[in-house]
Amino acid sequence: MRPAPAAALLFGLAAAALLARHTVSVAALAVVLLAVCLRAPVPRRWPYLIGAVGSAAALFVLTPFVERLPGTVFWSGPTIPVVGTLDVTSTELSGALFNACRLAAVSLAFSAYALWLDHDRLVQAAGFARRFVLAVALATRLVPALERDAAGLVEALRGRGVEPEGLRGRARLLSPLLAGSLERSLNLAEAMEARGFGRAGATRLPQPQWGLREPVALAGATLAVVVGALWL
Amino acid sequence: MALARAENLSFAYPASTAPAIRDVSAGLAPGQVTLVLGRSGSGKSTLLRAFAGLVPHFHGGRFSGRVEVAGLDTRRHGPARLAGTVATLFQDPEGQVVFTRVLNEVAFGLENVGTPPQEIEARALEALESVGAEHLSGRLVTELSGGELQRVCLAATLALEPRLLLLDEPTSQLDPEAAEALLELAVRLARDRGTTVLLSEQRPALPLTLCDRVLFLEDGHLEFDGPVDQARAWLEEHQSSFVSAGGDVGVHLRHFGEVACRLDRVSYAYQDHLLVVDGASLELRRGEIVALVGRNGSGKTTLAKIAAGLLEPLSGRVERRGRATYLSQDPGRYVLRERADEEVAVGVGGDLAAASRTLAAVGLAGYESRHPRDLSSGERERLALAAVLAPDPDLLVLDEPTRGVDPERKHELAALLKANTERATLVVTHDRAFARAVADRIVSLAPDREFVHA
Repeated sequence: MRPAPAAALLFGLAAAALLARHTVSVAALAVVLLAVCLRAPVPRRWPYLIGAVGSAAALFVLTPFVERLPGTVFWSGPTIPVVGTLDVTSTELSGALFNACRLAAVSLAFSAYALWLDHDRLVQAAGFARRFVLAVALATRLVPALERDAAGLVEALRGRGVEPEGLRGRARLLSPLLAGSLERSLNLAEAMEARGFGRAGATRLPQPQWGLREPVALAGATLAVVVGALWL
Repeated sequence: MALARAENLSFAYPASTAPAIRDVSAGLAPGQVTLVLGRSGSGKSTLLRAFAGLVPHFHGGRFSGRVEVAGLDTRRHGPARLAGTVATLFQDPEGQVVFTRVLNEVAFGLENVGTPPQEIEARALEALESVGAEHLSGRLVTELSGGELQRVCLAATLALEPRLLLLDEPTSQLDPEAAEALLELAVRLARDRGTTVLLSEQRPALPLTLCDRVLFLEDGHLEFDGPVDQARAWLEEHQSSFVSAGGDVGVHLRHFGEVACRLDRVSYAYQDHLLVVDGASLELRRGEIVALVGRNGSGKTTLAKIAAGLLEPLSGRVERRGRATYLSQDPGRYVLRERADEEVAVGVGGDLAAASRTLAAVGLAGYESRHPRDLSSGERERLALAAVLAPDPDLLVLDEPTRGVDPERKHELAALLKANTERATLVVTHDRAFARAVADRIVSLAPDREFVHA
């Protein structure tokens, strides 16, 4: 399938997850998207899955402590200044589950976009705002690039006989990773400018013709948004 | 009539007080191949960037004098406007890749300069064919080796059919055969199409046999500008390290000690299950320096990592005695701390005194408080070397330690390695002259994975 309709379909599923009102519907969408992501090669998919599932789990755990909703109290904790009395109620838990599923679905839709779509062809397919689409495609590549950089830093450390241990050891890599990505972005910007990026009158490689699957995907994207808004 | 000309060019980068280029005047004639030589930090890359318009447009800084390319003054016409007329191949191929697929990458420049859409693919494929990389057109750039990526980046510049081709250390990641092929291609372009070629190099032996003219920069100043015949004589008189084949770097112990590392029929495959190393055996003794050479993609780095303990072989046995350290090809991986001495001390439990001694040994005395990212590329290479030397390893594995290093520094590095008679050293290199200068034994990893000992 061409990447533009595939991106539209993923966007439609993410929009449906945001518009849906029932936890079961949102969870089902998240499961479908998780299945799509799980078909990607293991080394590529794990940072995305950890990010998506980890952030959803964090949202589920933290939400009951910061919300104040009535319901059956499962646990009552200490009173904390400003925050008040900590408690966990049934309504807070169901709300937390709903929001966690929603976040997971949207994150997994992005993960599927990053893992499966051919970003080069997406840029090619951009009839307008090509520079914006190119910037998004380059930003999407940041995750695997950071992953490669992190692996390189760890390897260089191990090459000095030092094993980065624990969360603190790995957290110390964050600052050099960020600085390295800024340095790389400058190098890339220089290379792009040297190759004429931004010059008026740019053309692009001719686009392959659409087959049957592309209009079906676009229709599916529209349908997902409508169904999500009206029935899910 | 020169195609490109610099007149009294001086330039200083924004964060620097000292100029990178001082009062340089030079003209580049059509069809001429000009080689720029000089030590690390002498201004070679800056001169190339000035002809591409990137200096001053991209970098800012203080610019004086005048640079003209094909009648266009680079002060008024930026790099995007010059693209197509000028094409630049940068030192680090990984830092210039925009797309994920090879064909799209090569087509990018053609799209930007407004090539008719129906011509783009044909020209991109033609450029890939000219560098022997047409079989890579459908591949992902992340799957390519450093040498393959370098050829793809070269194809991306050639596709533009530029009148001025700027090559900044284009052979730094290539094996000697590939490097020769690349330089011969550049010469062919100059002879057949009249392309003006300006290239900088740190392995000057081969380019000196192919180029027409040589520029030598010293601290940003043009010390020599003349035809290649005169250049050889001038270099022999004034900069002999640029024409000698390594030279004598002192007496070295010839009786080697106990085995520090033994690889016995080791094999390794990455995730695509293709065997990169297949049944290789190698023995390294204390006091011995072994150079591991071979074509791009022959498995040298993988074998070096197995020797250093960074990779576990799929089969075969590895025996290692004592501590091993490994120097990565990328000095950008040695920038974890905010001071040079702290960076070097990472491997010695924070011992700053030991770090300072090692910094001095690699010629970075007085650099202790500098931030690793503020160092020049040559200085970063030396910092990385200090980082792996500081633990005083029993086995030292160096992966392409002379990449981007000028001949004088290579000579110093060879002397430094030879001065230690206690450790075993494995040097992975494409630099044949360095291998001959430093190694007691040269081991060639041939394409069929068999070893040839020299």
